[in-house]
Amino acid sequence: MTELVQNLIDAVALGSLYALIALGVTVIYTVMGMMNFAHGEFIMLSAYALYVLAGLPFAVAVGGALVTGVLIAIAAERVAFRPVRKADLSAQLVTSLAVATILQNIVMGAVDARPKSVATPGFISESTQLGGVSVPNLEFLTLGLTAVVLACLGWLLYRTRAGLAMRAAAENFEMARLLGVQADRVIALSFAVSGALAAAVGVLLVMQTGQVSPTMGLTPVLVGFVAVTIGGFGRMFGAVLGGLLLGVIASLLGAYLPESLLPFRDAFVFSLPVAILIVRPHGLLGAATGEARV
Amino acid sequence: MSSGRLHSPALIAVSLLVPLALVALTMAVGANGTPALQGTVTTILCNLIIVLGLQVFIGNSGVYSFGQLGFASAGAYVAALLTLPATFAALQTPALPHLVASAQLGPLLSTLIAAAACGVLAAVVGLPLMRTSTLAIPISTFAFLIVIYNVLANWDRISGGSSGLVSIPRTTGIASAGLWAGAAVVAALAFKWSARGYRLQATREDEVAARSLGIGVTRERLIAFALSGVLCGIGGALAAHQSGVLIPTTFYFGATVTTVTMLVVGGARSVFGAVLGTITVSTVNEVLRNVEGGAHLLGVVSVGRTPGLAAIGVGLILLATMIAMPDGLTGGREAGGLSRGPRLRAMRPILGSTTNGAVEPARAEPAGGSALCAEGVSVAFGGLRVLRGVDLTLRRGEALGLIGPNGAGKTTLVNVLSGFLTPDTGAVSLDGVDVGGRSPARLARAGLTRTFQAALPFPHLSVLESVAVGAMGVGVGRRQAVAVATGVLDRLGMREQAASRAGSLPPASQRLLGVARALATGPRYLLLDEPAAGLSEIEGEELVAILRGVLEDFGCGVLLIEHEMSVVMSLCPQVQVIDDGVTLRVGSPAEVQADPAVVEAYLGSSYLAAASA
Repeated sequence: MTELVQNLIDAVALGSLYALIALGVTVIYTVMGMMNFAHGEFIMLSAYALYVLAGLPFAVAVGGALVTGVLIAIAAERVAFRPVRKADLSAQLVTSLAVATILQNIVMGAVDARPKSVATPGFISESTQLGGVSVPNLEFLTLGLTAVVLACLGWLLYRTRAGLAMRAAAENFEMARLLGVQADRVIALSFAVSGALAAAVGVLLVMQTGQVSPTMGLTPVLVGFVAVTIGGFGRMFGAVLGGLLLGVIASLLGAYLPESLLPFRDAFVFSLPVAILIVRPHGLLGAATGEARV
Repeated sequence: MSSGRLHSPALIAVSLLVPLALVALTMAVGANGTPALQGTVTTILCNLIIVLGLQVFIGNSGVYSFGQLGFASAGAYVAALLTLPATFAALQTPALPHLVASAQLGPLLSTLIAAAACGVLAAVVGLPLMRTSTLAIPISTFAFLIVIYNVLANWDRISGGSSGLVSIPRTTGIASAGLWAGAAVVAALAFKWSARGYRLQATREDEVAARSLGIGVTRERLIAFALSGVLCGIGGALAAHQSGVLIPTTFYFGATVTTVTMLVVGGARSVFGAVLGTITVSTVNEVLRNVEGGAHLLGVVSVGRTPGLAAIGVGLILLATMIAMPDGLTGGREAGGLSRGPRLRAMRPILGSTTNGAVEPARAEPAGGSALCAEGVSVAFGGLRVLRGVDLTLRRGEALGLIGPNGAGKTTLVNVLSGFLTPDTGAVSLDGVDVGGRSPARLARAGLTRTFQAALPFPHLSVLESVAVGAMGVGVGRRQAVAVATGVLDRLGMREQAASRAGSLPPASQRLLGVARALATGPRYLLLDEPAAGLSEIEGEELVAILRGVLEDFGCGVLLIEHEMSVVMSLCPQVQVIDDGVTLRVGSPAEVQADPAVVEAYLGSSYLAAASA
């Protein structure tokens, strides 16, 4: 029983991390219809900010990571994504793949191809006893951060003018433009939000593993993509749900797969979208009428 | 007789020979070089086969797959395991079944088995994936790449795990890689120019229009996906036998970005582009790789070790291409079409004598009643009830006009009849057979075709190709399809434009092209959704004149949707008026015009005033 509770807490914590990633991906998708491969590199670069700012107080370093994530995301939009804004989604996807490759290899050349360790505050690696269940503090932090981020995002989207503009653009970009929403500003804002979400994930990943590496963004971004696919494209709630589901399944597979199959956990996790798409070709929350309109 | 061809012999010859010559040139550069250069050239040729594999799927379908390198990986491992010397096999892959471990096949047989295995794997993987959307395919294929990597990296006792395999016999040389690459060029072009290839290209150009012509999108994508898997498997197998070592990351993220870049830089839609892109990007990559390790540029500038430089270069090339030149170096054209510009005027001779009779519907008259019937069709979008129990009967050989004001439900009714929309209640039958729930493609193959309010052209296909795709869509073979298309174009007076790109036509011609495409399916029932919409009055009248002459010849039942009263009145002996989702009146134009309810609901007082004036 204790073990089950323990595993469930682990699962939800991983699920919230995945939900944060999926949200970062889906914010861009809803506003400009682009699946952004470089989101993994936004995460990676934010994490490297912690490595570079290692001597400073941890809170300052985290602030640095946040600023890095936001600035990189806005810069990438300005330089690479704005010119292909009107291209079809395949072209945008390939463009973001190019940006991801460039950023990843710049870090590889400028820092090192090998992982670097980053010191994190001691309390993160400790655990708290809760009625016989030992919960790592990092999981509290992950759950708490996810809750705060979701609350902030909800406030931004539903309580501010900028959020209203973003939601309008997500509904119908051209119409929103005609009604006076400034496209450049809304898209830049979406990238800033996406970059901030990436920074949160980057910081959590560093706390979890204690290290950074140039390729650390690859698995997260694919987790985000798969979560969004499972949840149904362009739905914020679907992204959260898909991320949670994927994280819970990955975590439980890790806990309950037989020893001999454990190394293949990722194979099972990434086969999941196939299984779901067989049953629901447009994702869990995707519209059944996702076919092109006539 | 020159009909039966989509391309002039000269275009075919140039399109085949130029990429083959590039392959031969690459081989020649390597053959006279140092052993290192020979190795590099062999690797480029292996990559070319993989890129051609990408072209077959991505280029023709317009849908990106990031999983094709997974098939290259699978092919490489299959071929390596089948050829590994027994002593090494026992050491590296202890759990390998004895049959495989002791096989020690030759290079040709192992490559063929790898190709077949990858074809089967791609078909099995593609079966669920191809059902999903254009956006889900890139992501789920990427997931597949990770699955393959994860399995290979952890299945230690079969695959050698993350340290991989060594001592694979190095049997691939420039000659064998070059021959395979040449064969891959021919295969990719043959596929592109086959009826299957054209059907798939039509789905790339406009998915909705393709479905209306009888093309099953999932099926066509799946076939190309499997063929692409075969080519990638061959490329992987040859590459493993070139380098002699194989690790799970050989064909993973980095290789995926590199090969996709090669395809995109050359121009994904063309086989020539795949060849050109592979050679260009490989060359740049090779130069940067040398600089990466520290080198002297031009003997003067000294460059230190700069890891990642080659990959950054590839990324920058890809980014620059996507921003500045999304159609790639070739603009997506084959070598034979390059010099002629978009209109390809010089290719005109492809159209020979009129193929009389080719345009008649090939199908036998069905036994049941010959009519398209809708009974009690109701459709609601949310709370909005667009159709409320509409009946409609379209008899074979009859022209029925469907009129009504904007928002009356005309297009919704056509969507229901053509299978694009499932009604909430009501039944649709075709020649006495209930066809409720059938896909648009199946209905087209059963003899029911439609056009759309927008022209929905296939912009990168020629006019002749666009119309031939209509016939291919319902299963007519390539040769016969061209004969049908030629006949239809002759009949519609579009022969002059046969070689033009569909996307370059003026709007009125694109509209007519949509009708031609639909006629090429040999429909028994044809639904024309506002064929004159968006055209000027003169253009509309011309279109109507052409239609009037044509429709009688083709002998199909025609449902003509219009809100221009005059168009319908002049073409249709029978008219059905709907308004606000219900039928107001069915009758001759005179009867309809005389009905006060129709006049009030639809024609309005201004029409009466105009009519009496």
